[in-house]
Amino acid sequence: MDNAADYYEDRLVLAFTVCSIVWALFGMAAGLYAAAELVWPRLNFGVPELSFGRLRTVHTNAVLFGFGVSALMATSIYSVQRTCHTRLFAPEFAWYVFIGWQLTIFFGIAGIALGATGGKEYAEMEWPYDVLITVVWVAYAVVFFGTIATRKIHAIYISNWFYGAFIIVVAMLHIVNNLAVPVDLFKSYSLYAGAQDAIVQWWYGHNAVGFLLTGGFLGMMYYFLPKQAERPIWSYRLSVVAFWAFTYSYIWAGPHHLHFNSIPEWVQSLAMVMSLVLLAPSWATMINGIMTVAGAWRRLREDPALKFIVLALAFYGLATFEGPMMAIRSVNIISHFTEWTIGHVHSGALGWNALITYGTFYFLIPRMCGCDLYSVRWANWHFYLALAGTMLYILSMWGAGVTQGLLLLSLDEYGIVKYSFTDVMVAMRPYYQLRLIGGALFFAGTLLMGLNLYRTIEAGELVRVRPPRPGTGGVLAGASA
Amino acid sequence: MSAVTSIFGIPGVLIEPRFAFRQLANHPPKPADVFKGTALWLGALPPVFAAIGMHEHGWRLGTVEPLLLSWAATIWIAILYFGALLFGFLSSALVGRWMAATYGANQDLGLYFGLLTIVGAPLTLGSVMHLYPDVFLNLLVLVPCLIWSMYLLYTGVPLALGIEPERGMLMASSIIGYLFVAFVSLLGISAFLWTVGIGPRIGV
Repeated sequence: MDNAADYYEDRLVLAFTVCSIVWALFGMAAGLYAAAELVWPRLNFGVPELSFGRLRTVHTNAVLFGFGVSALMATSIYSVQRTCHTRLFAPEFAWYVFIGWQLTIFFGIAGIALGATGGKEYAEMEWPYDVLITVVWVAYAVVFFGTIATRKIHAIYISNWFYGAFIIVVAMLHIVNNLAVPVDLFKSYSLYAGAQDAIVQWWYGHNAVGFLLTGGFLGMMYYFLPKQAERPIWSYRLSVVAFWAFTYSYIWAGPHHLHFNSIPEWVQSLAMVMSLVLLAPSWATMINGIMTVAGAWRRLREDPALKFIVLALAFYGLATFEGPMMAIRSVNIISHFTEWTIGHVHSGALGWNALITYGTFYFLIPRMCGCDLYSVRWANWHFYLALAGTMLYILSMWGAGVTQGLLLLSLDEYGIVKYSFTDVMVAMRPYYQLRLIGGALFFAGTLLMGLNLYRTIEAGELVRVRPPRPGTGGVLAGASA
Repeated sequence: MSAVTSIFGIPGVLIEPRFAFRQLANHPPKPADVFKGTALWLGALPPVFAAIGMHEHGWRLGTVEPLLLSWAATIWIAILYFGALLFGFLSSALVGRWMAATYGANQDLGLYFGLLTIVGAPLTLGSVMHLYPDVFLNLLVLVPCLIWSMYLLYTGVPLALGIEPERGMLMASSIIGYLFVAFVSLLGISAFLWTVGIGPRIGV
């Protein structure tokens, strides 16, 4: 008899994937509109919900928690079952994670648009949403680690170590940073004060980048890259060494966001040194990825998805080189509070996170739906749109950042700041226009992918796959869900 | 004689790049010939245009007054600019040849000199906009030139180095990765030098 409990829980993966794409489109559209407001400020039409401050926060929350975390939940649930040779632990419970996460993020972002904000970057959602996020996250941890605990093979594959670190550390960061005293239903104040609050916030902020945008997505890379290249990881030992080096060093680096602020200088110096140390595990991982692809030339020809992952690795290398360099205090004094930081963030967010996710989705959806990708040509177009968009974005922000840094620090013959805020904003205009073009190209590519994958899902039916029995390979059931 | 060993061959190369890349693959030039005949002259164009433009019109960052510099300061900046471009050219050629073993590409250094000269040609010719150094106008011209250069790199690597298009795509991406890292290093080094007092006077 055909029993659903015999198969991997892939409907959930598909649901998370679809939501991730919808969040990507929404979040990037919000970002694009915010970028347009910097060129044409009147675009906010005097509507508070469309003001730059709120729209930018809607953008960051939608892409980070809607697009990024949904993608990580989809891929972790897909890969943990396959690497543990077992079905998902408590699958009904996992559906509550899906519904709980999507609703919490939706209402949290709606709250931000309406003006309810805690004021901490990347942790703007107010306390009721923080409580809901904690509950959903614990449920996600139970599902993920429950699957690992009930695995049918001894080894825990490296992708699960990265996903596991992502789940544990994000829980720790979220709870500690969001401890607050509620005043009413939509207003609270942080439990910490002054410089301590800033240190806790940037311990959270930087490790959200580290363990969510880096650790989580490295979990994605370590599972899907060898699958797509049809080759094992170039050096498994290097991946394990890099994991522990990465986990140990990242957690110290947060205070580099507070250089030249009112925190102890030794804390700043420690953060700078640990940021420089981070280069070693980051580049070890990049080399491991590139060497895994080297030799899989045939796959590059056949699979458009692999191209995205290769390019993502190149941008990962760039972003993880640039980050430590910007953490050096004498560089940071020029780059801090300028668009250079925005360019750096987007070289990681667009070039690394989004591209590796796109590559993974192009791999996942045709396989899960049992049919070919609707249009390989569209996927190739998407690749070039994403490449051009990311490059224009980064280059424009580099130009803007260096110009801004120099203008803000320029002094006249009396030692007084030479350029006014208005002067600096006028100087930014061409760069903002270029950034808008770059963002529009990237968004157009994402839209094309959404349409391509929608057509693919429409043409196919969910393929159900059974976990392998000991000593056998996986069995394709072929039946529709 | 290869088209990339003379500056006068460059317009033809840009009109028919695929033919030029195949010719390069069939008859690899000597690195010194490419360098003396073409790369050096193309590399000199942006600093010369920038020096004239900065002296005549001043550098317009979008602020009210253009930044006007003396001839001495302008020439120093132009020399540093030329040095940075030469470093970028030579290091990219050497790094490209170093990558060749991984991608199974031809390791003749002359090929890398020729390839990078062709790839850089649209950008160096587009630098004519430095004659009027307004940021927006320069971006308007140099961004399409950059896209043209990227196209030439992705097309040229497999054709000139004699590898399959898939390997070429990966190798071209690796060269772009190197160029980005080199560029961002240059930004970082510049910022460091400004902070310690070398370069523009800033209040740090």
